[in-house]
Amino acid sequence: MISLSLNKNNMKFLYSVILLLSIAINPINAQTKLPALDKSPMDMSYYPNRYPVLKIQDKITDPLVARVIYSRPQKNGRAIFGELLEYDKVWRLGANEATEIEFYTDVKINNTKIKKGRYTLYCIPNDQKWIIIVNKETDTWGSYKYESKNDIVRIDIPVVQQTELVEEFVMVFEKSETGANLVIAWDVLRLNLPIVF
Amino acid sequence: MMKIKTLFQLFAFTILGLASCNDPIDKKVGVEENMRIPVSINDSVNLSIDKSPMDMNYYPVDYPMLKMGNPNAKAPLARVIYSRPQKKGRVIFADTTVHQNYIQHYGEPWRLGANECTEIEFFTPAKIGNNTIAAGRYSMYCIPYPDRWKIIFNNNINCWGLDIDQSKDIGFIEIPVNFNKANIEFFTLLFKDTTVGCTLEMSWGDMKVSMPIQFNN
Repeated sequence: MISLSLNKNNMKFLYSVILLLSIAINPINAQTKLPALDKSPMDMSYYPNRYPVLKIQDKITDPLVARVIYSRPQKNGRAIFGELLEYDKVWRLGANEATEIEFYTDVKINNTKIKKGRYTLYCIPNDQKWIIIVNKETDTWGSYKYESKNDIVRIDIPVVQQTELVEEFVMVFEKSETGANLVIAWDVLRLNLPIVF
Repeated sequence: MMKIKTLFQLFAFTILGLASCNDPIDKKVGVEENMRIPVSINDSVNLSIDKSPMDMNYYPVDYPMLKMGNPNAKAPLARVIYSRPQKKGRVIFADTTVHQNYIQHYGEPWRLGANECTEIEFFTPAKIGNNTIAAGRYSMYCIPYPDRWKIIFNNNINCWGLDIDQSKDIGFIEIPVNFNKANIEFFTLLFKDTTVGCTLEMSWGDMKVSMPIQFNN
């Protein structure tokens, strides 16, 4: 009798309430509420590339220089640059926690000496070039509390257009003549951050 | 051309998928197949999201969030970085007579995660069981038994987790396994507050193991 008076929307609402109630009163669900997989999963890259694998294969020829830990947002059909990432605003260069870069030896970026240790990486995107920022405030979330007074160095990096679309934001080191580049790629853009050592 | 490329990628993914469904613990054999580490930005297959994605947890719980709310927060005490394999209908631990549809044999070292060694960092000295552990970074692995896990701390870091160098062990703790009615698909590590410090809770399938940690601060 009651159900006759319910239209489709009301039924949807009723189902939602029942579903929510069943979740709320289910003791197993309540007990085992563990984090699902992140939408933007974390990843890490070493320089030399694949260092952990080379290490167990006894194939290391060059010392460990750097490691970046970051999370990987996906394009999901969205317009990224100038839209999702507003120009001239600080971006965490990833997702979730602030992106961390660790140097295992002293390096130079933009002629500034950076002592070995852990740092955060941010960027300020724009149409033609991005500013990449190395900052000393670690173990933080996003760029919400980013403060330029904690910057170690800033460098302008030109944006390179690439033909293939990169769905998941990615960072990989590549050997260069003066050390290594941290290659940053997402959507149709790519940037090379030169690290000298 | 696109079609052939897509087919090739699908094929590659299938191979990679099969490789990671099979026992990923094979020593060195099959290491290459199990690595999904890009060697270059043009390595499009390996640039996609890992099958066992990485995650990171701090103690105090949600420290980066805490710090965002309070820039003057005291330094964190611990951090763990690990990758999260999935159960995918397999038996997680099995005895050595089992050779199919299992992930790991009892009594053999397991990297307590996937891909790279699981890494735990203490930003201050810590006490775990009978071990006093100096501040620093360690790899952490596990030897599972039906009723308990032996959790071992090791000085060899920045490694891929398949070939554990047991000569660099610095201490261990044996912890009973609690079985419950859950069926946790993704291996999960979580710090939880206790009255004397915290526990690192390790959950997978119907198992939960809680490692007590105290900090000398």
